[in-house]
Parts: sequence; structure tokens; C-alpha cells
Amino acid sequence: MRSARPSVLFGVTLAAVLGLAATAGAQNEPINFTDHIRPIMERACWNCHGEAAQLSDLNLSSRDGALEGGTKGPAIVPGRAEDSLLFRMVAGLDQPSMPMTGDPLSDAELAAVRTWIDEGAHWDTGEVTAAADALAALENDELPPGARDYWAFQHPQQAPVPPSREFDHPVDRFLEASRKDAGLTAAPRADRLTLLRRAYLDLIGLPPTPEQIEEFLSDTERGAWERQIDKLLDSPHYGERWGRHWMDVARYADTDGFEQDYVRLNMWRYRDYVIDAFNDDKPYNQFLREQIAGDELDYVTDETRIATGFLRSGPRVNFREKDNPERRHDYLDDMLATIGRGVLGMTVHCARCHDHKFDPILQKDYYSMQASIFGYVEIDYPLLDQDEADAYFAEMRDVDDRQQPLRDEVDAIETPYREELRAKMIRERFPENVQAAAFKPEAERTPGEQLLAVQVLTINPPRSQVAEALSPADKARVDELNEQIAALEDERPPTPAMAHIVTDGDYRFAPDGPGDQVIGCPECRTPPEFEGTYLWEEGGPDYEAPPNYFLIRGDPFSPGSPMSPGFLTAATYGDPPTEIPRPDGRTSGRRLALAEWIASRDNPLTARVMVNRIWHHHFGRGIVRTLDNLGRMGDAPTHPELLDWLAVEFMDRGWSIKEMHRLLMTSEAYRMASSFRHQASGDADPENNLLWHYRGQRLEAEILRDAIMTVSGGIDLTVGGPAIFPHIPADILFQSDGKGFWCGSPEPGRRITAPSTGIWCEEPDRPEVWRRSVYVFRRRSLGFPFFDTFDLPDQNQTAAARNVSTVSTQALTLMNNPFVLNQAELFAERLEREAPGDLDAQIDLAYLIALTRRPTDAEREVARGLASEQSLVDFTHVMMNLNEFLYLR
Amino acid sequence: MHDDHHHHCRKKTFWSRRDFLFQSGGGIAGLALADMLDRQGLLAAETAQSDTCELPIPGNPFAPKQPHFEPRAKAVISLFMSGGVSQVDTFDPKPALTKYAGQPMAESVVVRQGHPGPLMPSPFEFHKHGESGIEVSEIFPHLGGKVDEMAFIRSLYGRSNDHIQATYEMQSGQIRMGFPSVGSWVTYGLGSEAASLPAYVVMNDHRGGPLGGPNDWSAGFMPATYQGTLFRAVGDPIVDLAPPEGMSVEQQRARLDTLAKLNDIDLANNPGNSELAARISSYELAYRMQGCAPEAVDVSAESEATRKLYGLDDPITEPFGRQCLMARRLVERGVRFVQLFHGGIGQQNTDTWDAHSNLIENHTQHAAETDLPIAGLMTDLKARGMLDETLLVWHAEFGRMPISQRGVGRDHNPGTMTGWMAGAGIQGGQVIGASDEFGYKAAEQRVSPHDLHATILHLLGIDHEKLTYRYNGRDMRLTDVHGVPIPQIVA
Repeated sequence: MRSARPSVLFGVTLAAVLGLAATAGAQNEPINFTDHIRPIMERACWNCHGEAAQLSDLNLSSRDGALEGGTKGPAIVPGRAEDSLLFRMVAGLDQPSMPMTGDPLSDAELAAVRTWIDEGAHWDTGEVTAAADALAALENDELPPGARDYWAFQHPQQAPVPPSREFDHPVDRFLEASRKDAGLTAAPRADRLTLLRRAYLDLIGLPPTPEQIEEFLSDTERGAWERQIDKLLDSPHYGERWGRHWMDVARYADTDGFEQDYVRLNMWRYRDYVIDAFNDDKPYNQFLREQIAGDELDYVTDETRIATGFLRSGPRVNFREKDNPERRHDYLDDMLATIGRGVLGMTVHCARCHDHKFDPILQKDYYSMQASIFGYVEIDYPLLDQDEADAYFAEMRDVDDRQQPLRDEVDAIETPYREELRAKMIRERFPENVQAAAFKPEAERTPGEQLLAVQVLTINPPRSQVAEALSPADKARVDELNEQIAALEDERPPTPAMAHIVTDGDYRFAPDGPGDQVIGCPECRTPPEFEGTYLWEEGGPDYEAPPNYFLIRGDPFSPGSPMSPGFLTAATYGDPPTEIPRPDGRTSGRRLALAEWIASRDNPLTARVMVNRIWHHHFGRGIVRTLDNLGRMGDAPTHPELLDWLAVEFMDRGWSIKEMHRLLMTSEAYRMASSFRHQASGDADPENNLLWHYRGQRLEAEILRDAIMTVSGGIDLTVGGPAIFPHIPADILFQSDGKGFWCGSPEPGRRITAPSTGIWCEEPDRPEVWRRSVYVFRRRSLGFPFFDTFDLPDQNQTAAARNVSTVSTQALTLMNNPFVLNQAELFAERLEREAPGDLDAQIDLAYLIALTRRPTDAEREVARGLASEQSLVDFTHVMMNLNEFLYLR
Repeated sequence: MHDDHHHHCRKKTFWSRRDFLFQSGGGIAGLALADMLDRQGLLAAETAQSDTCELPIPGNPFAPKQPHFEPRAKAVISLFMSGGVSQVDTFDPKPALTKYAGQPMAESVVVRQGHPGPLMPSPFEFHKHGESGIEVSEIFPHLGGKVDEMAFIRSLYGRSNDHIQATYEMQSGQIRMGFPSVGSWVTYGLGSEAASLPAYVVMNDHRGGPLGGPNDWSAGFMPATYQGTLFRAVGDPIVDLAPPEGMSVEQQRARLDTLAKLNDIDLANNPGNSELAARISSYELAYRMQGCAPEAVDVSAESEATRKLYGLDDPITEPFGRQCLMARRLVERGVRFVQLFHGGIGQQNTDTWDAHSNLIENHTQHAAETDLPIAGLMTDLKARGMLDETLLVWHAEFGRMPISQRGVGRDHNPGTMTGWMAGAGIQGGQVIGASDEFGYKAAEQRVSPHDLHATILHLLGIDHEKLTYRYNGRDMRLTDVHGVPIPQIVA
């Protein structure tokens, strides 16, 4: 609860934070807490029932806590060990026996616990000290020896490629080795058209056109496959396809989420940055550096600044933030979780409240990494040269400064009128007791009346009423002042193109944002006792990050010691810098250091996580199936040596993602048939874990929509730019937000002064919105129904592999959705146009366009039946519903 | 065209080969078995008289699953009062507010908007009801008559002062976005008994969606399949349920038959692919849903007396009465979790319970809109023998302040609120927990949203500590690492 907040944030003593009572008296018994019990508690109890965590709501770090107990009741009944749950559970008398993990207590330890409780369970050293020591122990925790022995923390090494008589390609030779061990037979190569469709859908997310099919079939020279891959990698649509995969990692959306759901007008620039980065084959390590520290690089450009949108792509409330300072810790957690799971394949965020339960990630690692990003602020930045941007901000401040005295004068003139109107409002709108309180002299008010008076005397009449009430003379003067203010407004520089970026700043000096004018938590506004600025300013001292603290149980109001920046201990080799000071002194260089650590060859996780992702998209499942978790709770790799071999190869090839596509797609494994039947293999490996046939994949929501529009010929393949708003039925828009709609991007030159909320254009289904799905506006408070139905992942957390469900609402969508039906009609028109008057030719063409093959006689027969009895549209609609259409095989 | 579909929702004389595939769990085994039965002419005879609305789908994420222990309830109707209901003006009478009227509350108070006011007594009178003598505000005369069937929780509390985060917490246990709602957890844990209806249905206030929007019924990190399905107030209940104007039943059937033929050819070329078989089945199910879903919410089939019971004859009670009646029909047809929101974003201060500036008008209006319909729902469920198997849960996202906001309203208060549960064999006429003297904070037997969720799951036969979903390297729970079922409820 709010009222429980300490009045000065982060400035309270440890004892107060921990809320501990006075100490118990010292004991001189043979069994005493410090010497005999504490070591047992440290080893066997406090990990789960101490300051860091209170499983079953039990906190054993103090005697009070033990007496109060948890959900199962008091842990200790002083004087009666046999009746004390703590003793019963460590002795195995009650289930579950404790400790849950690690060695059970020895007989000597059990005897000590029994005696200690029987003698009254005295905490001789005093609880404050015990708790403080427990905290210090956490803050200074070290990894146990051998923590780094786990495979994912070891540097990947290339084992010798296994020998093979059948295969040349290293990928195949690794795969064949494990297939052989399991007695599996690999599927033969798929036919050329199947492969062509596979490559198109996989690399650019569009089925090939008849012309593209013809082109490929006519290339019968050696190397045709390789040439086809290169051609696709050169397509601008490659970045749209593979950039979309990254947007899942980046939890991309165009709005803030939560109640206001403010639009991120310029977020699409980050989306386009991602698409461009893939198209340009930006080395992955550089791609990461830019996204984490694009504002801190040696060469900062618009592009690298836009890249930092990665950090702020998660949900934010962005309303009344100053009343709710704890939210900043959730935002930091959002960033750390995204970097952790998305980039490092580690659930770093699990260590926010306690040491990680399964992986060697310490709580202090979490707060060290938090220190690396703690200076972050989210700002709108003009896409100008540094000098111009500085000048832009200076001019804006200058206009503000010159407007201020004018505004003050307006205010002074209006104040008496406002007060009069306020009195009128109080008389008209509030009950008598409120009026009585408000109009009494302050000295005569009771304490309760004083509260009521303050409440109503702070309301403000609408501006329009004030303006109407002014005397002619005052009105003239106010009009004059307002004209001057407006004239100054015109002196503002034109709004340049802006980007939503992250850079360093001091959140304690943040300007008021939306909702901050209302003060709901005055103690949250205690200003720092020193001078400072929100952003670094020309001529000011070098930037210094505000301090962050080790948070006890992750509670923002329970700070421990201040933290220095750092990384995951288990994944850190050598002594990499944790701060790389910037010559311009604008930022701390901490995020840059973090980025360099992540993007380094010395990091054992980064390359593995990315090659595993690439593998997943090509083969339908990762070598480690849990793309975002290479830790102990993730799945074990099916081919650990192959994963490592690929990770090293990736780094050796300059972190080039396109090189990895070439490598993987030229393997025989990628070219295997998916519909291969082999009894023995099927029995031995029904899940196809060892990849003995190609694994078909249902098209993702976006690619399905794109494929429908490609087949119909209606698709607009324009690349990049502001988001589009495909049609959503009006009643769904209305139910999602009664606030109204706002369409498209602002007209050029129009200044957006206030964020817009809950937007979606109410547009008809028309060619302007038949653009690729990667450009569809992502509004956190309203998923696009077509995408939701086809398993679009939640946009609020970094997403790993997408779920594939088969539910009847998908069938309903493809059967009845007006967009799909429109596209089916377009498809029929296209067939009429391209093969006029010849039904068989139209059917053949439809198969070629939609499925990249000719129909069989049986299929042609069925198709002809429907098309002739009903119409061609009926048939094209069926094509868009075929299982085969929905799958990459 | 609905007429054509209707008979599918009731009885059918025989099953087709494909019907059998749904029933048998699909896949190759199903195909082989169907073939065998076909040859022996057994299929139609064996399965005659089955209700086709109950046909399962192979690989269906909503296939009914076994609970952990004998459930008390099979279905839940959640009545979510959006905007925040004032406990001290509804179900938690506080004489101290009258005694200390106009005085500051003793402790320092933090309000969400502006400055705190003095203590404000309820403008409404409370009356004792039933054998239990539980006091209920005069604005709920009909629910007052039901107190002996209701268990009130006067010590429910949350963490957030903001509508959206508080709504998320009541829905998912978390104040952040991205976590599955309780309805998603329930349908994930138990599946559904209505294969041709959604498992988790949400219905919004006629004035608009609740604060928080579609995220309120999100499946969060679970497969999107488990999110609530919004039944629309106008037209077809589900988006894209019906074919467009101008498409005849025959035309649609012809398309689906052709689709099935071509898909069968494809399946023969890809034997052993259960995903493809499931997708084929999903089309037949969708076809049936086109008839079953509108039928399920078609209240015109109800008797005049029933319609009156829910207040459909009065414009004040009609909208929410309709929602309540639809909820009963859905539960009757096997829907697992129905969530009704009352209060929609439009004019927030009047269209929801968010009574900052107009407590008397606001709560009088919203109570009048819901009082008779909810009481009618309880009467109807009981008369049909459904009340014991159906859990009703009523609450808002938070309560309101015992102190006044400018003498006319009350600000948000997550410190305590009153919720109530009924049905599912719960002992009625009891009051659980208590707020403090003024109704500012939960004082005795504090009940968190996690506790509430643990209780709901328990009544459905689910151990909240055992219902887990692996995500983020953790076995996630609806109740995180917290939650204790309320003993008086699950007793």
C-alpha cells in the first residue's frame, strides 16, 4: 500500500526496512543460535525462507518470523521441538521433508535443532544483525565451484566434423552421426518445386509467382539452388520476413499498452531499422551493439539511435509515472528479461528477488546488470545531426523561456475570474456542507471541513468559461498576450522527423509527463537534494548515472547496497570493462560495455542463442527447443556438437546471418522431403527429434495473410514506412475503446503535442491496406483479430517459438472473413484475366500460383466440379483454405 | 441459414465417417478404426443419438481434462463490476462513518486523485436480510433476498490504485500485462465440455468494453487459444461466425465438401500427420459452431416468465439481464467460464462504477442495472438444478474510499473491497473476513486475489499449486508462489 511507503525513498535504514524488533537476550547454553543453528539455517533454510524468498510465506530470518510461521502455521513452538513444524520437517516426521534440495540435516544437526527449540529457540545474536548478515551474504554471494561447468557457460568449440560416406556437408555429417546411432533413415530429397516453395516461404514469406517458378525450373545448370538462395537473400522482402522474427524477440508494438495505450508514433522507424539490418546483413554482433547502446557508439548515427528502440519496445504505463516510481523497476526488468531471454537465452529476470533457483545467476548479477542500464531514459529524439539536434532542443527551450512570463501574466489576470467562477461552481455543484466548508475562513473550519475545502478549492473552471467572464479591458490584454504566445509558438523550429530512443539521463529530474500534474503521492515527489538535469546539457559536467541498489526481495522500497555495473558472473570470462567512458561525456558508457560483453566472442551464450534461432526457423524446431532458455530448465540440445560447431562458424563468418542461411539451406537436411514414410524410423523417433525428415510448419499469422494477398495478386509490396490499419469491424473497435479513433500518420509538418490513445483507423478493406503484415499497426490493447486467431504471440514479453494451434475459429476466419472472401474474388478475377475462358487452364494456374505445382487429375476433377456447379470464386476460396496452402513443407 | 444448423446442435440420427474421426481422437488410429467400423457397418448404429455439439476434435486443446480431485463446480460465471464498487455503500456497512462523519480519518491517507477528504457516511440505508441477518444496502433489494445463498468476503484487497493494473490483478494475479487470465487458466486446466462453443466466453457491457480492454481476458504467455472469446452484443456472437450476406447454405456446404475432398487427397499423401487431420476436423466443427453459437445465445427461445425473471422487460435491467441469461444458456451447453463485465468505457464516471463525482446517482444506477438480473440468474440456476454445479463470483477491480471526494464521490481504494461467491455448494449466509472500522483496509482474514483464485480453482477440482504452465524456465502458476483457498468457502 501507498501509505506504507517510507517518506524518503531509498533513504531508510536497513533496520527500518526489514522491520525487525529488538534483540533477544544472549545465551550461554551449550547450543546457541550463532554457532550451531545459524549455519544450518544458512545452508538449509534461508534460501527459500529468508530475506530473499518466503516460500509458503515463511520467513525464518527472525524469531518473530519463525513464530508467526507461514501458510502451514507457526514454524517453531518454543520449548516443544516435537510440536514444531520446522523440526518435524527437517527430521522427516512431516512431509515434505526439508530441505527440499541439498543434503538432509545430519543427526548432530538434528539434535542441535531439537535442543535449541526445546530450550526456547533463542536468537542470541539479535535479529537485526542476523538479517543484515543474511543480506550481506546475498550481496556478496559467490557462485559455487563448478557453476560454470554447465555446457552453455563453456565456450563453444568446434569438434571435428564426423566422417561420412554419404554426406559432404558438415551439417549433414553431424546429423547423420546421430541418426545412425538411433538407426534412422534420412528422407530423400524433395522435388524441386517443393523446395522452391519452401525456400520462398522460409526466406521471404511469399509464395513464388509463376514467373519465378519458370525462372527456377529453367535454370538446370549446377548451382541453381545456390543461385536461388542468393536471389532470395537479395530480395528486400527477406528483411520483412526475418525482421519479423526479430520483432517477436523485441516484443515490438506501436503503442504503450495499459490504460492510456499511447501511440508510439515513430516506433515504425525501429521496425524499418530491423528490416534494413537484415536486408543489409548487418553483422549480428553489431546489430546487438546498436540496439543496446546505439547512442553510445564511437560513431552515432540516426540509424544507431533508432536501434535503441529495442530497449523500450515493451509495455509502459506512461501515465502518472511520478506517483508510481516503482514502475521504473518493472521497465528495467522488462529490458533485462528481453536481453536475458532474447539475446542470452538465460532467464536473468528470475534473479530479481532471489538467486536463480536453477541456473548460476545471482541476485547480485541481476542488480549489476540493472546498474549497466539504470541511467536509461526514453525520449523522442530529432533525426538531425548532433549539432542540429542540440540547436533544436535549445530553440525549443528558448521559446518556452520567452513564453513563460507571458503565460504568467495571463494567469495573473485570469486568477480573480477563475476564483469567482470556482466559487460559482462550488455553489452550483456541491452539497451544502461542502459549500459551508469552502466559504468559511480557514481558521473557522473543522479539520474535516479543511479537507473538503482544499478538495473543492483546487478545482479549475474550464478555460472557455474564464475567457467569457473577462472584462473587455482584461480580455483585450489577454488576447494580446495570447497572440504574442502564439507568435512565439510560430518561432519554434519545424518538428523534425523524430525517433523513440533510449539514452542516458537522470530520471529524478524528468519533466512532468501525462497525468503528472495531479499529485497523488506527494512523498514520491521529494526532489533530490542536489542540482541536476534530466538530460546532459552542453557545458555541463560529464554524465553520471544515478545510483541503483541491491533490492531486498526485489522490493523497490527495500534498498540494500548501491551497485556497480556488471554482467552475468557465470558467463563472464576475463575482466571486460563494465564502463567505457565516452569522450563527449554525454553518457556513462555502461550500456556500451554491456553491449560489448554481449557481442563478444568471449560470451559463450550470444552466438549459440542466435544460431539456434536461425536453425529453428529453417527446420521448425531449435536444436535447443526452448529458444529463450539454454539454462537447466530449458530443453537439452538434440545435437550439442552441431550447435557449438554452428556457433563458432557463425562468429568465424563475421556474425553474418545470411551466411548461416546459405550454410544451412545448402545442406541435404534442409532439402529432405517432409512427407517421407519410414516405419522403423517412425517407430524409433516419432517426434523427428533427430531430423530424419523435413518438418513442415504451419504458416505464421502474418505470412498466411501475405500469402493470401500474393495469390490474389492484390498485395502491395511497398517496403517500409508508417503502419497500416487493415479493417476491423466497428463494434470491436468500439468495445476496445470508446475514446475514438485516430488515423494514419500526421500530415507533414503537423505537430503532435499530446500522445494519442487507443487508436485504430476505421478503414474499409481496400488496396491501400493490402500491404505486408509486418506493417500492420500493433496496438497492445487490441490485437488484430486475424493474427490473434492464428497464434500471434503476446506482444508484451519477448517471445520464443510461436505456438501452433488448430482451432475452429481459424476455420471460421478463412471461411467467412470478408477480407479472405474479397481476396478469393480477386484471385478468381486474376485467373479469368490470365487464362480467359478455359476452366482447366484456370485450375492449373490456380494450383501453380497457390501451391507451386500442377494439380493431379483427381484434384482437377474435384476442382472442376465445384467451379462449374458454383463458380470460380467458390474454387479460389477453397484454395485459400487448403491444408497444403497453410503449410510450408 | 441458422435454421439449417439448428438441428445439429441437438440430436442427430447417425454419424458420418468424419464425425467418428472427431470422436475417436483422430490421427491415423482414428482413420484406421473408422475404416474398419465402416466396413462392418457399425459406425452409424454405435453412435446414433449423440449430440453433435459435443463432438470433440483431435488434438483439441479444449478436450476435457481430469481435475485433481472431485470438483464442486463445473462452470464459473464471473460477474466483474468494472470501475470499482464502494464496499461501504453496498455490502460492508460502517456505522463509524456516521459516527465520525466529516472528520479526518485517523491515519494519513493517500488518494489517487488530488487531496483526501473527510470521512463520509453512506448515503444509503442498510437492511438486515434473511436468516443470516446480513446487512445489504438498499440499492440491492433483490440480492438482499439472496444473502442466505451468498458468501461475502469483506476483506478482499489488491495492490494497485489504477483501474487497469487492478483489473489485471483480479484477472491474472499480476498487475503487469502478459499474464493469463483466470478464465484462461481454468480452460487450460479443465478443457471444455462444449466442443462447438468457445470454452471461455466474455460478454461486455452494452456501453463498451471494460477498462483494460481485450487484455483483460488475454491468455498472456499461454497459447492464444486459451484467451477469452468476446461474444458481441450485436449481430453474430463471434467474429466471422456466419458467411456473408448472399452466400447460401448450399454454397457454403459445397465449398466445404470440396475442401474436404481435396484435403483428404492431401492427407493420403501425408499419412501420419495428426495436425492435418485436426485441421480437417476443425472445419466441420466450425460449420456446426455457426449454428450452435447463435442458438446458445438466442434468448428469444426463453419463456416470458424467464425473460421477466432476468428483467428483460425493463429497459434498465434489460442489457445486463440479457448477459446473465446468455450466461446461463452457455453454461447449460457446457461452456466452462463465462465472464460478464458490467460497466464499459464511454463516459467513465457514469458508464462504469467509477463514482468520483456522483456516488449517489452512479451506484444507484449501476445497482439497479444489475441487482434484479443477478438475483434472477441465481433463482433460475437454482430452479434448474444448476446452481450447485455453477460458481458465481462477483467483484470489482477495487473498492472505494470511506472518505469523501469533494463531498460527492469516493476515490479508488485497493485496500479493501467486498466480493461475494455463491453456488458450487458454498455455504451461504456467511461473512468472511472484515475490513477495519472505516472500511479503509482489509483487517481480519485478508484475502488477496491469489487467495480468491486459489479458491476458484479449488472449487473446480484444481489444486492451484499443481496447475502449472512451463514458461520462462519456470512452472508458472495462476497464484505465482502465493494463494490459500478460503477455508470457509472450500469447507
